[in-house]
Amino acid sequence: MSATAPSSPLLERRYARLGVLLIAPTIMVFSLVIVYPLLAAIYLSLFSIYTPTLDGEFVGFANYMELLTGKAFWNSLYVTLVWTMGTLTLQILAGVGMALLLHQNLWFRSLARSLVLFPYFLSTVVAILVWRWLFNDLYGAMNHGLMQLGILDMPIDWLGSMPNAMIGIILVGTWKYFPFVVIAVLARLQTIPEHLYEAAKIDGAGPVARFWDVTLPQLRSVLVVIILLRAIWDFKEFDLIFLLTGGGPVTSTQTLSLLVYQEAFGLNQMGQAAAYSVGMMLVMLAFMLIYIRKTAREI
Amino acid sequence: MTKPTYTTPAMPRRTLLTGMAAAGAMAAMPRRLSAQETVTLRWWSPQSSPEQMAAYKTQMANFEALHENVKVVFERTSDEGYSPQLAAAFASGEVPNVVTHLPSFAVSNYWANGLLEPFNEVIEMIGPEKFYSGANDIYEIDQGQYAGTGIGNSAANMIWLRTDLMEKAGIDAAPKTWDELLSAVAKMQGGGIFGAPLPYGRNSMTSLVFIGVIHQAGGQVMTPDLQVGIDSPETRDALEFYKAMREFCPPGATNYSWGESLTAFVSGACATGIYTGRVLINVANQNPGIADSITCDTYPTKSADIAPWTFNDFPSVFIPKAAPNMEATKQFAAFLFDPEGYIQQLHAAPGHVLPVLKTISAMPAYQDNPIIEKYSAEVEKMSEAAANGFNLGSESNAHKPNVKAGEIVNSNAISEMVQRIVLNDENVDQVLGETTARIEEIMAS
Repeated sequence: MSATAPSSPLLERRYARLGVLLIAPTIMVFSLVIVYPLLAAIYLSLFSIYTPTLDGEFVGFANYMELLTGKAFWNSLYVTLVWTMGTLTLQILAGVGMALLLHQNLWFRSLARSLVLFPYFLSTVVAILVWRWLFNDLYGAMNHGLMQLGILDMPIDWLGSMPNAMIGIILVGTWKYFPFVVIAVLARLQTIPEHLYEAAKIDGAGPVARFWDVTLPQLRSVLVVIILLRAIWDFKEFDLIFLLTGGGPVTSTQTLSLLVYQEAFGLNQMGQAAAYSVGMMLVMLAFMLIYIRKTAREI
Repeated sequence: MTKPTYTTPAMPRRTLLTGMAAAGAMAAMPRRLSAQETVTLRWWSPQSSPEQMAAYKTQMANFEALHENVKVVFERTSDEGYSPQLAAAFASGEVPNVVTHLPSFAVSNYWANGLLEPFNEVIEMIGPEKFYSGANDIYEIDQGQYAGTGIGNSAANMIWLRTDLMEKAGIDAAPKTWDELLSAVAKMQGGGIFGAPLPYGRNSMTSLVFIGVIHQAGGQVMTPDLQVGIDSPETRDALEFYKAMREFCPPGATNYSWGESLTAFVSGACATGIYTGRVLINVANQNPGIADSITCDTYPTKSADIAPWTFNDFPSVFIPKAAPNMEATKQFAAFLFDPEGYIQQLHAAPGHVLPVLKTISAMPAYQDNPIIEKYSAEVEKMSEAAANGFNLGSESNAHKPNVKAGEIVNSNAISEMVQRIVLNDENVDQVLGETTARIEEIMAS
């Protein structure tokens, strides 16, 4: 023991150095792709910058004052929350429902499991072009079908008026992203021990009771992660909404991402756009921290 | 098991190493020593219909044939998307060499911010005497310095009419006033056909068309000395007219932009249309059944004593200052006006983009086109309207150039004003006050 004792600290130091060396590339990449853009955004938000030239002047917290006192940020935040809550809720309900269905021993199960992923794999641009055609007032299949069935006399304006536009983007968002929930929930369903269901049956639990008392508690951990990830992705969704409604009518579907885009590239005010994006990040961070603390206590 | 070999008996190690050293030395030589290095020129345009693409290919191939070391690549942009794309390109320094078909007010904005190469040299290459008189005035933002030039003219808010439906409804002449138009569309609407595809979307088309409607009421967005003048009785009249027209437009017009509005008329779903001469080629290709029953005129005004106001976006050509290979770039920009390619480009959508060179208009090769021959009266009308046209960058001959016009359009301040009044039925005074404040803020920025 006495012979090895002096070499231990040396070895530990060597291991520590090796550890630092091994983790250094990760820290460098992390700094380049996350820390630098974040600091750059905060830095830009303190300037008034004309986007094409990136020339500008220091304005301190003026962009943040505009964020706090103007209507644009709060209106877009409200729209973002409505969109996120609406589409996330439907994604979870549709995703869990479809996963439960595909977990049953159906004869077309393999095919259905493949097909259900289709919307998720489809390019957003292509999917939205198809949906825009479906929603078209003059030639769209939706209006045409409903008029053929005698449900409508006149075509409905699906994307140009409220609340249709918001309902439209929420439904298309649900269709596009619910397969992610299906994949994750289905994977978890397949690992729930069968004996839990057998014990519940012996205790007289019916299908509904088995879902609430066995399946749902077992899904809780995976649902926490799914909700966290999907909420982050939905909160900052851009392309789907931009292509479907462009943020209209007026600003009824203009989420924070669209506001940032409009400010940065429509009005060429990169500094103000950076301030909005920092505000957006802080809001998302606050929601996520509350959510994680709450769910961590429950699990 | 044999070891892999990296040399063959035919290539001794010494030869291989010598070869590698020579290749390394070649690679290390300064690139500028290579006089015949291939130069790639990037060309951006929002106009890219299949017929136009075919014309562009001819122009690119002809230029490449004359310049062996030059390759030209075409990249699409769009009327709604060019602003963010160019902003990102300017910010990153990765700019295209030549940009065509953007409205003149976009050019003046980029020029005012020092982002463009003076175009005087290119105009000299084309031949200033070939242009129609005053054709380049709108690009002379600073005295003696041209920010770009026009690649054509356009009359973007012509009213298109179905003469068969007019006849059926007992209408014997194109409407000249708003009252006549409202009466006409009311008579023609029905049987699955709507009166008009006016845009009510939150986009540039709604803004640009409505700017025209304000002028057709005798109003203006900016005063000649560039004070915001939108809050006026004329704008209120324009909003009232636009609201009255809503019931004659398809339900989805609340989301219409150029493409949807054009298709609504060409397909036969609307009795009137509002567009450039692109209608002609689209009808010929997509709905020839109505080809003998269409005509156009300037858009009606509030009353007969107000002159028509035609929106001409003065489709442009310009060169970003940061573009590489400037000499070849300027040669290519001038080559776009070479008669063979230019006429093919104009024929790609006859009447849509009208020539800016009088030498081209006079050429039999330009006149020799079945659509231009068939619709000579309409093409003449559009040419005349475009020649007297304006846009937000220059609302009249008395107005100073408005270099913020592009940002006003991109802000959607005007299209949102239309939506708030027409769709949301909000208080006109409040909306006009807020719109004025928004435009003032943009002008001051």
